[in-house]
Parts: sequence; C-alpha cells; structure tokens
Amino acid sequence: MKLNWFTRKGVIYWPASAIGWVILVIAVAYAVYTFIDIDSRSHSGSDTMINFVFNLLLIGLIYTIIAYFTEARKAD
Amino acid sequence: MKMKEKDEFLKQMENLKVPEVNPQEHPQLVKMAIMNADRSAVLGVWLIVVPCYFLFCVFMYYFSHIRVGTSWFAAMFRLMSSLDKTRYIDFLGPVIMVVLPIVCIMINSLAIIHVNVQKTGPRQSTVREFSVTIKIKVWNILLILISLVIVGTFIAYVMTEHISVSN
Repeated sequence: MKLNWFTRKGVIYWPASAIGWVILVIAVAYAVYTFIDIDSRSHSGSDTMINFVFNLLLIGLIYTIIAYFTEARKAD
Repeated sequence: MKMKEKDEFLKQMENLKVPEVNPQEHPQLVKMAIMNADRSAVLGVWLIVVPCYFLFCVFMYYFSHIRVGTSWFAAMFRLMSSLDKTRYIDFLGPVIMVVLPIVCIMINSLAIIHVNVQKTGPRQSTVREFSVTIKIKVWNILLILISLVIVGTFIAYVMTEHISVSN
C-alpha cells in the first residue's frame, strides 16, 4: 500500500498530505503539553530543559519512524 | 545503380566487427542493496541522536573540569538514573542505549552490503563462491561506527558494574 503522507528534505520529514499535517500538529501539541507538564513539576530551568529535550528527541524519533514508513517514494 | 548500392551495403555488412563474447568471463552483476542508503542514514541519525545526547552529557559530567553548565549535565544524568527506578518505564534506558543503535547498525548495514553466493569452477558446480561487497557510503559507515561505540560503551558499563557489584 502506497502512502504519500510525508516528503523528505535532508534529515527532516515534512507533511505532504492532510494526514501528514494532522500527525505533525499532534506531535507539536504533545511536545507543548510535555513542556508545560514538566515545567509545572521541575525545580529549575535546567531540570525543565533537560527533561523536555529528552522528550522532544523521543517525539522526533517516533514522528520520523511514522514518516519513514509513509513517505512519498521517488521513482528511481 | 541499385546493384552498386546493394554491393556496397553487403561489403559494409561483411566488414562489420562482431563483439567477442567470452562465456568463461565473470558475469557482470547488478549489486542491489536491500535498503535505500539515504533513507537508512536519515532514520539512523534519529535513532542514535538520543543515546549520543545522553553519552555526551555523561562524559561532560564526569570529565569536564570546567564547572560552567554542569548542572545541565547533572540533571541529564539524574534523569537517566531515575528512568531505571521508575516502575513502568524502566525498560526505556536499555532500549535507548542498545536496541536503537542495533537497529541503526542493521538498517545501515543492509543499505551498503551486498552478498552473493554463486557456483564457480570448470563445471559451475564444484565450488561455491561467497562474495561480500561493501559500498563506500560515508554517512552509513559513520552511523554504523557511532552505533558500535554506543553499544560497546553500554556493554562495558554493564560488565564493569556487574564485576564491581559481585566483588
């Protein structure tokens, strides 16, 4: 089954369809929610940033894995 | 006129050089890898970015003599050790440090390695030849090496901790 949800530019996948945009918006919204949640529980700025960067990289990894399997393939 | 043209054409055809085909010569192979090298490199970067970030923080925490910004590295170190102690996400540390780099090694290896088994010898049946071809793709090779270092570091850490605990 061919899914053309994302297109790749360098190391970043960009949405190429409505479903792709929905996934990107969900990822960004979850990252914002994570930041607010971590910030409300942390004791310092570096504590917030460390936890947030770690979560952000994991969100980026999951987003990339989804995009990897659903990207538009170029005809060779 | 027509006969002359026909003769010239026949002469040209007779003088044509036919390419020589040597059936004993090794046949040309199309060496296709299983996975696309560029796509594997991109996914590989994302797979090792978290362990690289963690290792960088640990090394800076222990080996940095400059105490500026050490709270950042100390916080990262605390985060990873707290992962081990938290009940439902205690598996996350080994997954990040071992499983993700191993997946990176696998997909990048499949993108640059071509393996071929064929029968050789005078009767094409006596000897089997196994040949491995590695494409020189800098990014894929670099990602494989970095992943090996991450996995090696983690294994070394686990082994030394096990030895120190048992002593």
